[in-house]
Amino acid sequence: MKKKCLLLGLGVIAGTLTSRAQFSIGLEGGYNKNHIITNIGFRAFTKYEPLDGFNIGIPVKYDLNNWFAIQADPQYIQKSYKIVRSSYFEGINHTNKNSYIQLPLMAHFTFGGQKLKGFLNLGGYAGYWSSSRIKGTQINTFAKEYELPDGAQTPSILDGEPGYSYNEKFTFDSRRDRRIELGVLVGTGVSYQLKPRYELFAEGRYYRGLTDQQKNYMLNQIPRYNDTYVIQVGCMYRLGK
Amino acid sequence: MLQLILGICLVSALASCRKESPQINDPKRYIEGSFSEAFEAYWNGMNNNYIFWDTDPTNWDEIYRKYQPIFAKMNINDSTDVRKSYTYFKEMTSTLIDSHYALRINSPYVQDSAAYISPSDARHQKSPDYHGNINPNFFYSTIPPKYLDKGYVRGFINLSATDQFFAVAGKIKGNILYLHFNEFSLNVIKDLPTPNNAQKALQYYFDEVKKPEGLKGIIIDVRSNGGGYLSDLDLLVGGLTDKEFPIGATRSKIGNGRLDYTPWIPATVHPGKDAKLFTGPIIVLADLNSVSMAEMTTMALKAMPGGNVKFVGERTWGGNGPLLNNNDYYNSGQFSTGFLSLVYTSSTALRYVDGKLYEGIGFPPDIEVKYNKAALDAGTDPQLEKAISLIPQ
Repeated sequence: MKKKCLLLGLGVIAGTLTSRAQFSIGLEGGYNKNHIITNIGFRAFTKYEPLDGFNIGIPVKYDLNNWFAIQADPQYIQKSYKIVRSSYFEGINHTNKNSYIQLPLMAHFTFGGQKLKGFLNLGGYAGYWSSSRIKGTQINTFAKEYELPDGAQTPSILDGEPGYSYNEKFTFDSRRDRRIELGVLVGTGVSYQLKPRYELFAEGRYYRGLTDQQKNYMLNQIPRYNDTYVIQVGCMYRLGK
Repeated sequence: MLQLILGICLVSALASCRKESPQINDPKRYIEGSFSEAFEAYWNGMNNNYIFWDTDPTNWDEIYRKYQPIFAKMNINDSTDVRKSYTYFKEMTSTLIDSHYALRINSPYVQDSAAYISPSDARHQKSPDYHGNINPNFFYSTIPPKYLDKGYVRGFINLSATDQFFAVAGKIKGNILYLHFNEFSLNVIKDLPTPNNAQKALQYYFDEVKKPEGLKGIIIDVRSNGGGYLSDLDLLVGGLTDKEFPIGATRSKIGNGRLDYTPWIPATVHPGKDAKLFTGPIIVLADLNSVSMAEMTTMALKAMPGGNVKFVGERTWGGNGPLLNNNDYYNSGQFSTGFLSLVYTSSTALRYVDGKLYEGIGFPPDIEVKYNKAALDAGTDPQLEKAISLIPQ
């Protein structure tokens, strides 16, 4: 049965092969906004906010025919988020700047004219959470309170005492942190054939993480998923004849 | 085209593969019409608010698996089941390291005297060295005439119907300054508008500390002191130094996960205004019943640069995580449910300057002198006598 499925799959691919099969390699870079999909439970005056990041990658594309290709984009990408407090806790915040090494693999569908084309990418990715940096301000239990005039109001706790600010490398906890991320992606964009071998492109892409950032280490655990929206540009160079 | 359709179908199907996020509700918002709900409120409250999951040996998930079915079979309106629940709550919390931890059951079926559950109390009572507080009268009426020079100052004041503060201050051998007080309300007493003897006792101590040239040593006695306000640390310990110094670090929670901690935040003592560095011997007296601020003060004094502090007495209680009565500040700490009117637990964890956590362990003395009931009954104080012997004349 497995052999028959494999043969069928290869047959589908073979059916699309033409003499136009060729490799391209390129460079891409972009800006992204990452949202952490989770919830704050019953925590008051607290919310998660998305954060900006950037990505840089080396796309490799194998054109099977003039409308279908397989593409891989090994890349470095940031997927960051922030926890922000409000009201009396205004000023208390925590940022996670997360770096991933990621390998998206996708089917690349092209349509349009000879020079200016549109394209659609569909696929998945595997990523490794390589490092993180945390930055923020927290309440300092042992802070020395400011000397305020009698009767002075303190709209926020930080009006009455200094917080503790930090900017440091994050230490992973192997009990909690899941370093491997898997997900799906969809992208769409336009490409322009600049010269016979050079192709410029601009793309909007969405990465949807399907694996929780955390391992299952406790009952009633609130999961955390990355949703990353990317705008990127790049250039491909066709190899071979 | 086939590949495009297959691709869209596959990606769409996979895109929905995410775990459902549970709804985590505020423990005090549960409507506890059953013991099932009462258990869920408490278990989830602990799951998200307890600060020591990183180091606590209690397997909280196993507690859920074992006790949720038990509570599900009980009736919250049945007096027998309510009394049974008291035993189950004791079992569930028996290995928690938080030594401030206490539960108060809110039910007419549980007598007031039995309504508190304190795992650390139960643990300490099993120890052969366990003893209760030294009688306050010993500090107030026995120590001063026997050990303090004439001219000592003592006083007490009722801060509420159930809260009495007292302090004793004086000199020993003309040049050792001694201070004992029963709780950390020093700033409160200092700021009381009506003069009183307790305030005078504290003022005597703080005035003498500002004239260190006349002193050969200081004894700060926090035995049988149940703690109090953290702000007293800078007043008392900060009064002995002219520079800020670290005593360790604290951390609280940044999210709902048991292991979602803030970074460690330095805990420091700040010098008092016009405070002078005291370089002579400082002896801190503490015992098994020195807890919370009394423990933190002992630890802070021992962390003073200069190495001129010695701790005489017994290993302290083991409850030194600072706490607030509101878990909104630190995303951790105290909460309540309908059935449990109080779940009293630390808001932050304290790591000492040596990198260790002494929560549930207690801070060890440099020189151990155990509680001696016979000696105290005879009107003598071996712990104080040892402290005095360590200050050269």
